[in-house]
Amino acid sequence: MQNEQEFSKAEKFWMNFKLYQLWRFIVLNVKIYTIAVQSKWH
Amino acid sequence: MAKVLVIGAGFAGHTAALYLGNKIGRQHEVTVISNRDVFGYVPSWVWVGVGHMKPEKTIFKLKPVYDRMHVKFVHASAKEIHPDDGDQYVLGDEVGTGKEVRLDYDYLVIAPGPLLNFAGTPGLGPENGFTHSICSLPHAIKTRDAYLALCDRMKKGEKVKIVIGTGHPAATCQGAAFEYIVNVHKDLVKKGLRDKADILWLSNEPALGDFGVNGVQIKRNGVVQKSDEFIKSVFNDHGIRYQVQTGVTKVEEGRIHWQNYEGEEGTTDFDFSMLIPQFKGQPFKYIGKDGSDVSSKLINPMGFVLVDGKYGLPYPELSQTPEAWPAQYQNPNYQNVFAAGIAFAPPGPISKPFTNKNNLAIAPAPPRTGMVSGVIGRVVAMNIADLIQTGKMTHSERMTEMVAACIASMGDSLWDGNAVTIVMRPVVPDRKKYQNEFGRDLFISHLEMGVSGAWMKFMLHYTFIWKFKGLLGWKLIPE
Ligand SMILES: Cc1cc2nc3c(=O)[nH]c(=O)nc-3n(C[C@H](O)[C@H](O)[C@H](O)COP(=O)(O)OP(=O)(O)OC[C@H]3O[C@@H](n4cnc5c(N)ncnc54)[C@H](O)[C@@H]3O)c2cc1C
Repeated sequence: MQNEQEFSKAEKFWMNFKLYQLWRFIVLNVKIYTIAVQSKWH
Repeated sequence: MAKVLVIGAGFAGHTAALYLGNKIGRQHEVTVISNRDVFGYVPSWVWVGVGHMKPEKTIFKLKPVYDRMHVKFVHASAKEIHPDDGDQYVLGDEVGTGKEVRLDYDYLVIAPGPLLNFAGTPGLGPENGFTHSICSLPHAIKTRDAYLALCDRMKKGEKVKIVIGTGHPAATCQGAAFEYIVNVHKDLVKKGLRDKADILWLSNEPALGDFGVNGVQIKRNGVVQKSDEFIKSVFNDHGIRYQVQTGVTKVEEGRIHWQNYEGEEGTTDFDFSMLIPQFKGQPFKYIGKDGSDVSSKLINPMGFVLVDGKYGLPYPELSQTPEAWPAQYQNPNYQNVFAAGIAFAPPGPISKPFTNKNNLAIAPAPPRTGMVSGVIGRVVAMNIADLIQTGKMTHSERMTEMVAACIASMGDSLWDGNAVTIVMRPVVPDRKKYQNEFGRDLFISHLEMGVSGAWMKFMLHYTFIWKFKGLLGWKLIPE
């Protein structure tokens, strides 16, 4: 964050840059799946 | 043959029913009693409320799923629970005919979700009040209609005031209200009407981004970031005003009355408002063999089912005692009675409670989100199967161990939609295991905004409906 108040221009760019977001989509899916599935071992 | 009865077919009850049917449905009798004959995928009601998703896309019939999963379905509203040994049954009224039904059980799962306590705030709610709600599908549809009518007024040039947040000093479910406010913002931007609306976030949270879980904290590039700064940025970016530390006490036509932490009383005017009510337990009667009221053995004063948590600890002690949170969701007095989802009584709040000088407690109640409810439903189902098959429970999961992933969408477009992805582990801080001031795993916990979140939210809608339909591979999909 630029400061406590607003997102910077660069942050907004990355939020909407589709190729980067595709990468984030994959990373987030893998991350969430791997931690969520651990619950099944309880 | 054992008889297992599940009350409610939401995130918790339906998940429990799927696992029970799968594990023991062929050999034993598993029955679900629900007052609705459809499963409702609640998270997508946010989109229904802005007119972006057809209501029928968020529901499907339960009976065909249960037929495949070896589960009996009774379309009735449960009203009485008779838990005493030797004569254990639930009474309900069949939907449509009103005929009384009696369902005997050996094991009972109470998972009927919340009673939406609009009566707790005079003037609140879509039925006898002046505000809207997205907590049930009929409410979300009514909200959509009111919202679209408001848009028509704005199209004619009228400037309006929109207030979204919590409608009771002790309300929970801030996440849903947050998702709704950013969806309204996004929708108005798309319609070219954003300049016609003043949008206010009004909530009982101690700070922005608290969400009833004491906020979310993450570590990025070695620096700790907190959800209050993040959500502040979102609101500032969207031009949404905010007022936290505020408990709504009364609503009149077009006017909300509130008190804040300082004990000040004030009012806020609105043209359209969606405020989440307080949640209570469903008002079942709990009746002993001799006809006496045994509710004190089963529920707390709010109507939530007492389970294996440590109740009554003061907040400072509770926040340092992760083992106070229940692990198996089993009632200590009736060991064949379990509660799952919103129905179980948490041992206390997660966020820091606050009482103002007028003695008004302004503090979010702990949320039991869809993921948490699903996990509890599974744990309870697996333990009941254990008890039937081996006599010993082998599963447990406290909210101080659970992970939660929440995706708060901002619009549903796959091209220019957006979403905040929030991951936290654990849901309830465990200050013994994670020795930082937040009691969370700062590496796993995550806060991010971007189009990818919108894709995830869209994917989750279809993935979870697939899972809840019990289709191929449903067990591989986490709760
Ligand atoms: C708008 C909205 C958006 C949300 N978004 C998210 C999200 O993105 N992610 C997330 O994790 N959580 C989300 N949540 C929270 C989530 O929906 C709840 O945590 C979850 O639904 C709780 O599950 P439950 O099974 O306890 O209750 P419910 O899902 O409410 O299910 C209870 C069931 O019991 C039935 N029932 C009630 N009374 C009776 C009776 N007397 N007899 C028989 N049956 C009865 C009801 O019809 C219902 O089917 C959202 C909530 C809302 C309101």
